[in-house]
Amino acid sequence: MKNINKRDSFNIFKILNPLLWLLFIANALFLLLSFPNIQEWRFDEIFRINGFTMVIWTVVSFFSAIISTYSSNYLKGYKYYNRFGVFLLGFTVSVFVLVISNHLLPFLLSWAFMGLFMAQLIGIDKRWGEAREAFKFTLKYFMLGTLFLAIGTLLLAFYTNEYTITGILAGIDGLSKVVLITSTMFIILAAIIQSAMYPFHRWLLSAMTAPTPASALMHAGFVNAAGILLTLFAPLLFAASMLDLLFIIGGVTAITAQFAKLLQVSVKQKLACSTMAQMGFMIMQCGLGFFNAAVAHLILHGFYKAYLFLSVGDTVEQKSPEDGPIIKITPLQSFLVLIFGVLGAALFALLTGKGTSLDSGIILTLVVAITVGQVTYNIVKQKSLSPTQRIALPAFLSICGIALYAIVYNGVSLLLIDMPLANAGTSLSVLQISTGVLFLLGFFIMKLGVYRRVPFLYVKLLNDSQPFNKTVLSYKSKL
Amino acid sequence: MKKTQLFTTIDAASKVVGKTWPLYSFVTSNPLSGYENMPFQKAIEKVENTLGANAMPSPEMFRKAWEGEEINRDILSKLLLAEGYKDSPEHSLSILEAQRVSQQKNENHQLDQIVTKWLGAFMDEGVSEWQMPNRQKGFYAAWRALAPYDSQIKSIKASEIPKTKTEALLQVLSSYSEEECGKIMEYHLAALPGWTGYIKLRVDEDSLWHKKNPITLEDYLAVRLWIAHKIGTKILPKKNENGNRSEYLKLAYIWLKAWEKSWQQDLTSTLRSKAILKGGIEKPDAQMVFCIDTRSEAIRRHVESQGKYETFGYAGFFGIAMDYENMEDGNTRKSCPPIVNSSYKVSEASKDNQQEVFSNFKKKIERRQFGNYFLRRLKNMLPSAFGYVETTGAAYGVSLLLKTLVPDYLYRFNQKNKTNHEHFCDTKLTKYTSEAAIEEKAGIVKAAFDLMGWEEFAPLVLFVGHGSHSSNNAFSSSLECGACAASPGRHNARMLASLANDKEVRGFLQNEFELSIPNDTVFIGAEHNTTTDEIVLFDADVPETHLERLKNLKNDLLSIQKKATQERLQDTSNSVAKAQRKANDWTETRPEWGLAKNATFIIAPRALTKSLNLRGRSFLHSYNWELDSSGAALEGIMQGPMVVTQWINNHYYFATVNNEAFGGGSKITHNITGKFGAVTGNGGDLKIGLPLQSLMETDDEAYHQPLRLSVCIQAPIKRIEKILEKNPSLKNLFENEWIYLMVMDPEDGNKIKNYEKGMVWGQHSASIAGRKKERLQQVEDSVLMPV
Repeated sequence: MKNINKRDSFNIFKILNPLLWLLFIANALFLLLSFPNIQEWRFDEIFRINGFTMVIWTVVSFFSAIISTYSSNYLKGYKYYNRFGVFLLGFTVSVFVLVISNHLLPFLLSWAFMGLFMAQLIGIDKRWGEAREAFKFTLKYFMLGTLFLAIGTLLLAFYTNEYTITGILAGIDGLSKVVLITSTMFIILAAIIQSAMYPFHRWLLSAMTAPTPASALMHAGFVNAAGILLTLFAPLLFAASMLDLLFIIGGVTAITAQFAKLLQVSVKQKLACSTMAQMGFMIMQCGLGFFNAAVAHLILHGFYKAYLFLSVGDTVEQKSPEDGPIIKITPLQSFLVLIFGVLGAALFALLTGKGTSLDSGIILTLVVAITVGQVTYNIVKQKSLSPTQRIALPAFLSICGIALYAIVYNGVSLLLIDMPLANAGTSLSVLQISTGVLFLLGFFIMKLGVYRRVPFLYVKLLNDSQPFNKTVLSYKSKL
Repeated sequence: MKKTQLFTTIDAASKVVGKTWPLYSFVTSNPLSGYENMPFQKAIEKVENTLGANAMPSPEMFRKAWEGEEINRDILSKLLLAEGYKDSPEHSLSILEAQRVSQQKNENHQLDQIVTKWLGAFMDEGVSEWQMPNRQKGFYAAWRALAPYDSQIKSIKASEIPKTKTEALLQVLSSYSEEECGKIMEYHLAALPGWTGYIKLRVDEDSLWHKKNPITLEDYLAVRLWIAHKIGTKILPKKNENGNRSEYLKLAYIWLKAWEKSWQQDLTSTLRSKAILKGGIEKPDAQMVFCIDTRSEAIRRHVESQGKYETFGYAGFFGIAMDYENMEDGNTRKSCPPIVNSSYKVSEASKDNQQEVFSNFKKKIERRQFGNYFLRRLKNMLPSAFGYVETTGAAYGVSLLLKTLVPDYLYRFNQKNKTNHEHFCDTKLTKYTSEAAIEEKAGIVKAAFDLMGWEEFAPLVLFVGHGSHSSNNAFSSSLECGACAASPGRHNARMLASLANDKEVRGFLQNEFELSIPNDTVFIGAEHNTTTDEIVLFDADVPETHLERLKNLKNDLLSIQKKATQERLQDTSNSVAKAQRKANDWTETRPEWGLAKNATFIIAPRALTKSLNLRGRSFLHSYNWELDSSGAALEGIMQGPMVVTQWINNHYYFATVNNEAFGGGSKITHNITGKFGAVTGNGGDLKIGLPLQSLMETDDEAYHQPLRLSVCIQAPIKRIEKILEKNPSLKNLFENEWIYLMVMDPEDGNKIKNYEKGMVWGQHSASIAGRKKERLQQVEDSVLMPV
């Protein structure tokens, strides 16, 4: 096979690939060498660089470099080959600027450009009617999000007379409740549009007109901006006492989208529902006051989701229509599940410090306990394994998993030390406990499969997870 | 419309759409097979009305071919004149270029969208964890139970939806005449040809999924028409809205024909001037049988030039009408041409004294299956989905890095550490009802040597099936062996080798047919990896006496791989590593070109083509007319392999000329649905054919030349006429110009004659022969071009 792009003598990826890898290596080296004490630098109060921005820069440059290298071969022969590279670069630069912006002007501009470049990637194929519709549709969401963000932040700026984020956050104590709540509301709206929370989820389900690597970037990078935004404005959320609202919004989407995921039949739709659920969980973590956990989650989810998008061609398989095995568990086994769950929670608490006191951290510990329980539950009844393996394997997997997570979580926490209130659990509220109970309930509903008996729910979730109708089958060719 | 007519009307209407094959066994079939009983040109015109799809090469393709001197000016001018066009070729091309295909709004947009939503949900083959309820009751009943909740259709009451699909159809169609009903059905079946094609296939194959969750075209029409009726979409289509295109099509057809005739003329003059009519190799060291696949042509040339090796071409299922039971996933899949009924089942059994390895292997499979199930559960359940992502995220990060940066290293690592079960397993042939009898086993072996015109046996005889390796490729099965229904051919090859090695079979062949296979001849199954050109031998049973020969052969295969990849990738440095990278690179949308550029099927002894570089454009079947006085072997080749090549060639043609309608569209925006199909972007119709990346070099430039297949047979004309008279369906293919027939008549000085309408034999004027540069050059000239 000859060089397929021979006609385009200019190949933007020849510059882009080395540039992005260099950027990643530089960021990663800097991070490693100065870990964990990264000096905060400010440039005329317009930009600032600290541990948080370095983490995000490193992660973003990693994703961009991977996507760029991937695309430079994957998109060979594509009519919009170089244009894709330009948009990718534009997107990367926007996120870079966004993260370090302290002044509102570059902050808002880069937020707008980030959306614009993402919409361009979604509608990059101008020959394709449905892609043009998807471009228009998603751009509306992104611009609405920018508008909300602008209103929220400018309102604060107006009342505090400060135009930098640090300045604003220093001045929020003197603000009236009305101003605080109104501006926080708008910032939250901007965040939940970005991360496709209900009822703003439709754009994510209509964005599959993007080439696959652009989808990977969207799900591993773009939606995460909500987590970055909320972390930056953490003190505001505390001051306005609106964490509970975040927790509810996140929780509702986390549970609904996880159910909607179960009935998807197309891989990319399924991944989109999964992203919505994961973002919901991340917003929940913010709502609990653990912004550092949210940042760890968005990084780890980014790896996971980028991988799944980039390997989406591997999902063809011939399966047989047999029903899954019916699971029966003995009392002894369920006792083991319980013990392992408790031990997992203890290990998690020990390594991350969450759940050791009676605060919102208990909710996160509960999630870990149930996960370890589920791991044990599945393995302990597996007949192809020997009895020793059935006990050793869940222990091994759980310990490795929790340890790996703890490394990332603690690393991120150390780097976020400069961020005000990024790691501040709240006292355990009734709301949080009830949501914890709801999670357990959701778990049992799923386990027992009772949802299957509600046809209304099936259709409701199916319709709610359809893409915007103009982005499907709205054009045909005319001879 | 009467109830009794419903079924026959639907059946007749269903011819407007082809069949859609699942991606896990992607058969390259003719998407217009329902139109084969009419002349090609008529079919093209009809398809513009039924499917609204252009099926002629684009003017840009003609221009590229014209400027690349692939279309002979004399031939084109003559054809133009004969049809009454007095314009110059250049002018007629500019007329073609004035035609434009544009976009318009889909007036059935809402209807199509609702229907695809339900079809996708119902026909899912294992993506969803929460399946559409009541699927086992059939599509109509399942939809009917859910429709009242469907907010996309406003105010719909359970009581107003008819109880059965027949009632629904009769209700909607009551006011239309029989003729109108036919039109209505054609129109609504053709609205989503991908999905309706898959329904057709499921019904035809009666797959396990279909048995469990039945869906028929009647179900589909009942649901669709009832919804259309309810939401007020037009039931009876308006008159055709397309412009008048018959003049355009007529002219384009002349261009297509001129292109094809030019190709045939090249082929004729090359065969006339360069072909060697006699002479095999005396006492070859080894003989290798390859599939007729176009990809075998290049590797055969390199094998032959490497040493005293003789090669043959035979359909890659090696004449065994079998299904193969895959140990790794437990599926039993067809492993012979889709036109052949499988009478055998081949499964794996442990070799003697390898039972332990065998059972360990089985345990490993079981554990892997559990692992997959386990991960799926964790990802789907609340709240482990969140815990799973947090605990495994870092590992996914490392995989991203490795798979993007060092896929070739990973490939070699995986190959080295992979357990090939062929080393401790034997293929076992059984009939579906009973054990396979010795007569049948011997018959399979005999048929192989008969069809290929075999004369003498070398000490090593290899049956080389082929398979393709690619990563992250939803269309990987389209690169496998077409004669094995998109499965790799290795198991058929192993099966035939094991039958031919069987003492009992050899004895039977000797006694009953006087076919004696020397004692020192050993048969070995093998596989040609078409992505890396590696040939893997399944040689666990080769006796010690042959090990030395085997070692030499394997050494030669390494240099053959190197040369073959150099030629294919047009690259002299590190070509093998590059090919390996392609085989395992998840960013690679074009791991290999498959059967692209196929244009010819030559049925003749290898000697005839041995000195030619056919550039991977020819299917080659070995056939010796002198050993087949009854014509039975030739008839078999024409009924089987030739029809398979016609399917493949027609598929490549249509998918190239209109990739959106007959192909798969671009891979880069595919969305895999239901584990079996691809849609583009957010959803829509199921894609029915090969993706753009299998046919096009870039979005605008074709790699495959859309030429109808020229079948070239060396055999007496009389024999061929007799076969065609006996098989009207074969004759129809030529009569209706779906493919061409050229005959090299050994009883008339090996003149090459062309089949023309009404079985008249025409000849190419040889005078134009030596014109311009020859596209088919001799092996000696095939110096590698620098990149």
